[in-house]
Amino acid sequence: MELSTIKDAFDRVTKKQKLSCSKTQEAIDQIRQEIESVLDTLQSANNTDHELDYKTVLNELKASFLLIAPLSQMEGTQKELNVALTKYGKLLEKHFNPDISKAYRNIDIDRHTLNQIIANHFYHQGLFEIGDHFMSVVGEPESAAIMKFPFVEMYQILEAMQNQNLEPALNWASTNGDKLAQSGSDIVLKLHSMQFVKVLQNGSREEALHYARMHLSPFATSHMTDIQKLMGCLLWTGKLDRSPYHALLSPSNWDKLAEELKRQFCNLLGQSYNSPLSVTVAAGVQVLPPLLKFMNVMAGKKNEWQSMNQLPVPVELDREFQFHSIFVCPVSKEQATEDNPPMLMSCGHVLCKQSILKMSKNSTKVFKCPYCPFDIDAAQCKQLYF
Amino acid sequence: MEMDSLPNGNNTAGTPISATATATANPAPPQSSNLPQLTESLKLEHQFLRVPFEHYKKTLRANHRAVEKEMSAVISGVTEAAAADLSPDDAVNHLNSLVCRLQGLKRKLEEGSRAEHLQAQKCRVRLDHLESADAENMSEWNNTRMKRILVDYMLRMSYYDTAVKLAKSSNLQDLVDIDVFQEAKKVIDALQNKDVAPALAWCADNKSRLKKSKSKMEFQLRLQEFIELVRAENNLRAITYARKYLAPWGATHMKELQRVIATLAFKRDTECSTYKVLFEAKQWDYLVDQFKQEFCKLYGMTLEPLLNIYLQAGLSALKTPYCYEDDCTKEDPLSQEAFRTLAMPLPYSKQHHSKLVCYITKELMDTENPPQVLPNGYVYSTKALEEMAKKNNGRIICPRTGLVCSYTELVKAYIS
Ligand SMILES: [Zn+2]
Ligand SMILES: [Zn+2]
Repeated sequence: MELSTIKDAFDRVTKKQKLSCSKTQEAIDQIRQEIESVLDTLQSANNTDHELDYKTVLNELKASFLLIAPLSQMEGTQKELNVALTKYGKLLEKHFNPDISKAYRNIDIDRHTLNQIIANHFYHQGLFEIGDHFMSVVGEPESAAIMKFPFVEMYQILEAMQNQNLEPALNWASTNGDKLAQSGSDIVLKLHSMQFVKVLQNGSREEALHYARMHLSPFATSHMTDIQKLMGCLLWTGKLDRSPYHALLSPSNWDKLAEELKRQFCNLLGQSYNSPLSVTVAAGVQVLPPLLKFMNVMAGKKNEWQSMNQLPVPVELDREFQFHSIFVCPVSKEQATEDNPPMLMSCGHVLCKQSILKMSKNSTKVFKCPYCPFDIDAAQCKQLYF
Repeated sequence: MEMDSLPNGNNTAGTPISATATATANPAPPQSSNLPQLTESLKLEHQFLRVPFEHYKKTLRANHRAVEKEMSAVISGVTEAAAADLSPDDAVNHLNSLVCRLQGLKRKLEEGSRAEHLQAQKCRVRLDHLESADAENMSEWNNTRMKRILVDYMLRMSYYDTAVKLAKSSNLQDLVDIDVFQEAKKVIDALQNKDVAPALAWCADNKSRLKKSKSKMEFQLRLQEFIELVRAENNLRAITYARKYLAPWGATHMKELQRVIATLAFKRDTECSTYKVLFEAKQWDYLVDQFKQEFCKLYGMTLEPLLNIYLQAGLSALKTPYCYEDDCTKEDPLSQEAFRTLAMPLPYSKQHHSKLVCYITKELMDTENPPQVLPNGYVYSTKALEEMAKKNNGRIICPRTGLVCSYTELVKAYIS
């Protein structure tokens, strides 16, 4: 994107604004000086009792204003400013999409549902105060408590971890040890390892050894190398930073551990790790550009868009938004469906059922796989479930 | 995504064919660089730059107009003095008062230019913010975008206090348009109290631009005021009012005008449905909506909240027929009832390339981690199956059907 061009155009606007402003000031000053000099003349005439024709003086002043023409003086710079403003506005229109609602389907969004989603997002992000405020403003303060309850403990633990305090995390882990083990998580070991390093860093070898015996030994067989490494640290008490194990002290370990904890905590809660609202909006940011391009092309068919059952353009979504297997038949380019499922051919290539039926003339003859020289018998193809 | 097309063992000749076939069909964008994608997403930020710019322009225009007016007044003050027969003392006093006015004007100009400077600053901060988006490290920036979108939603829904709270707590004041919406709030609050004065003042302020967009906001406000006079049975005043404020719209909006004037004959308790609706309280809600639309248009905002636009697009992108099944993963927003409800009337996603996600590990199945088929046709990633075989002495148990088989019975599938 040509952001620098746009910035330059804006700098021009402010430059012209300053110019216009100082020109205006000049004009004001000039007029004032003219008036003040007339005032001086009048006053000195008064003092010297000298006869003076006031009318002539005032008419001269009037004439000098005509000469100075302060308004047209201002006009020139004002015009330049207007040109710069118009140019910048046009640049914005050219480089950005002036109306991103072109691909919007005009349907009523249920406000209650949306507000629940928003409140849940705030709690999910740990923005409890905002969430509570929002819920009371939209008039649903009752459901706030239920919604935020699960996240409160999580953020207490995470906050403590930010201060390198693992106590709440360890408590949570020991209460939920069984469930964590069941889901195959080794977060308990990771927490104890971190605590062990912390104890060790504070200098006392005995204490560290004691901690290891208490909390690390249960993992001795399942995570032998990890444990060996940790015990190796005991030899470097007080100078761990110069040891082969210095990576254990990296502050990024804390961030990683916090992320892992959040992941496991959400998992046990049955919540997603990322805020579903953030995920959806991020996906929207990815599909809007191709969608808007398409809408520009088929501007006349806006009604068709309102009733389409599938997006009119294929979207390329990042891995993080891929939650389901999508099979696109390489022959027909169609997405597999229940009625047209993916089929495994004897050569190992996969096509959709209808493509196979077509090529085999309704299973009446053997055909050649389009991707290898194998002869395929439709009857031998097997439906796949991804 | 393309997978290895090498078939099971005995035939190597197939590879080149499929490789060229897929390569020419649709070259996938390189995964390594997100730059084009970032550029495309920044192009969606028109409103982000447009709103402070329109605000800035508005201030510039207003300040300029004020200065022009005052200057003209001073100049004609001299002209008038020259024409009148003033005593010497009066002439001096008069000129002194003009000097005072000019001093006042200069102060005003300085104040105005400070306000202009602040708004220009805001425009620049936004440009800088767009520039700060770094394709390699977007999480913070995306987080801020989410908050910006939420503030926009709350401002449009009139949840001002929460919007302000969120903006303050996240230090986003320069990235959201609270100040602009404050202006709208005054008008909306008044309309909700059945007071059209601030709305009319707003129309007068933006007269030329509203005229350009053929807005009939002012007409509608006038009609409502007329209806209120009829409701109060203030018929004479109603007629005077209509002559003064409604008649000028006759040329362009005769039909509506006649319909409303006709209420004079029916009064507020009419049962005739054509006229009854005009007396209903929801006409005021309608005016509020109408005002919001005009307001958004004037500032170059989308008529819908940004949240609704992004949400709708995102829901469509994520919506697959599998989302409404029980085993939709909880990481998928569409596994949640609220999201499913919102997605219901929206189209399904469409993709050009096969993308297979392992049911067990949720990882992508590609050349590195190819899909393998169980005898019952169920497919899982090699990684997941290897792991399972290692734990179970080479036995594989299908997690969806319970089928038990041996690792040696698996066949690879080649997806092109
Ligand atoms: Zn084949
Ligand atoms: Zn889903």
